[in-house]
Amino acid sequence: MTGIRARDLTVQIGDRTILDGVSLEVAGGEAVGLVGANGSGKSTLLRCLVGLVPYSGELSVGGRDVAADPVGAKSLLGYLPQKPAFGDARAEEALRWVARLRGVPVARAREVLEEVGLAAHAGERAATFSGGMQQRLSLAVALLSGAPVMLLDEPTASLDLEGQRTFAEIASALRRSGRTMLISSHRPGEISRLTDRVVHLDAGRVVEPPAENVVLLAQAGGMR
Amino acid sequence: MSPPRAFPVALVAARELRQSLRGRWFLLAAGSFLALSLALSALGLAGSERSGLAGFDRTTASLLNLALLFVPLLTLSVGGLSVAGELEDGALGQLLSQPITRAELVLGKYAGVLAAVSAAVLAGFGAAGAIVGLATGGGSAATFLALVGLTLLLSAATVALGVLLSVWLRSRARVVGAAFAAWLGLVYLSDLGAVGLIVARHLRPVQVFALALLNPVQQARVLGTLALSHRLDLLGPVGLYGRDALGTAGLVAALVGALLALAVGCVGGAVSIFRKAVVP
Repeated sequence: MTGIRARDLTVQIGDRTILDGVSLEVAGGEAVGLVGANGSGKSTLLRCLVGLVPYSGELSVGGRDVAADPVGAKSLLGYLPQKPAFGDARAEEALRWVARLRGVPVARAREVLEEVGLAAHAGERAATFSGGMQQRLSLAVALLSGAPVMLLDEPTASLDLEGQRTFAEIASALRRSGRTMLISSHRPGEISRLTDRVVHLDAGRVVEPPAENVVLLAQAGGMR
Repeated sequence: MSPPRAFPVALVAARELRQSLRGRWFLLAAGSFLALSLALSALGLAGSERSGLAGFDRTTASLLNLALLFVPLLTLSVGGLSVAGELEDGALGQLLSQPITRAELVLGKYAGVLAAVSAAVLAGFGAAGAIVGLATGGGSAATFLALVGLTLLLSAATVALGVLLSVWLRSRARVVGAAFAAWLGLVYLSDLGAVGLIVARHLRPVQVFALALLNPVQQARVLGTLALSHRLDLLGPVGLYGRDALGTAGLVAALVGALLALAVGCVGGAVSIFRKAVVP
């Protein structure tokens, strides 16, 4: 089982401290939700894991240090960013590129497009997609290689109801398959349904959950 | 140990090449090269007794000036947009989240843009060369080929400079402005600056020569002139000093080495800056 470990993770951009000594452990096969207000550092934490943001402290995935062995660490990750972008690539072309890079059979590109409901748009330019379709395509990229750890940043933010249903099915299947998941979301229902526990961030620090959040999450959990 | 991957630099380069070939600039650049090459070749006949297209030598002389003017503008712009454009769009973050290093990404981008520019140069110049060769059958095709090689070498240096600007400035608007300023500086202002420095600082010839080694356009100008003609007066003070001090072969080696060193230095600088950058 592949876990995630962060120790005293700090991100400083200019004179702003985005993450301030965050320590976090996600066990292999565990699903953890990241909750916090806008600007609390949820996305930055995920972006550190995929090597987009330089940091100080220790960060590893499956025992592979993200800074020292970025390729090794990233090969264990499937990442769904908050705002996906694919340049001027067509949907299937973007997936085939990732498949080649990761040594996955390119036929898998068509399969994941079907999984996320985009098979009919395989030959279209991703830049012309709606926000929801781009998010589905990004989910397809994350699913493509069968990576053992999934990082999902606001995975349903742009999805319509049908898209959210599809995502919920995929995410449930991922959990059943024993994937490790770190999910940031503003939707209490989503977090409580998809995760084993929740980590609260505030101003770049891990904090005890505010009382109103506990109530919201409990209510959402009760509605499952 | 990291898992085996399928040539990431080549994959990024192929992706960049494909994107470039889809862009309108490629057809525009290749078409412009072809049209201007043929136009210059035809104009080379002005004042001569023959009619029709000029031979390789005249065409090559005209193309040298075209290349020195046009190629840096194209390569600085395209190299400049290669990283900044996708940084602004967020597509670079999506790429970098895959098992690839930042150095591989920059190298792949550089190689892809250079391949696209080379394709444009070869398509434009190659077609002109074939047409002129068929029409006249005369002149030195070797000199023409040397110019094509020189243009590719100049492209290697200026694309690298563009990529460095791209990584450093990170936005399309800033990069386009900087690329234009760099083009203006390399093509027009550097000579004026050098003259000013020579007068103000009483530079010695070796210092003037060293100054010229910093400008890829100047290096290409001297190399092109050496390929075209044995007349020493055409080389200018920098070329003359270099030829006196190093001999023809030494001067060629120094200039080619300076162009390659500039390319390697700029790409290395781009990698170094990009390693520490926050990617949106």
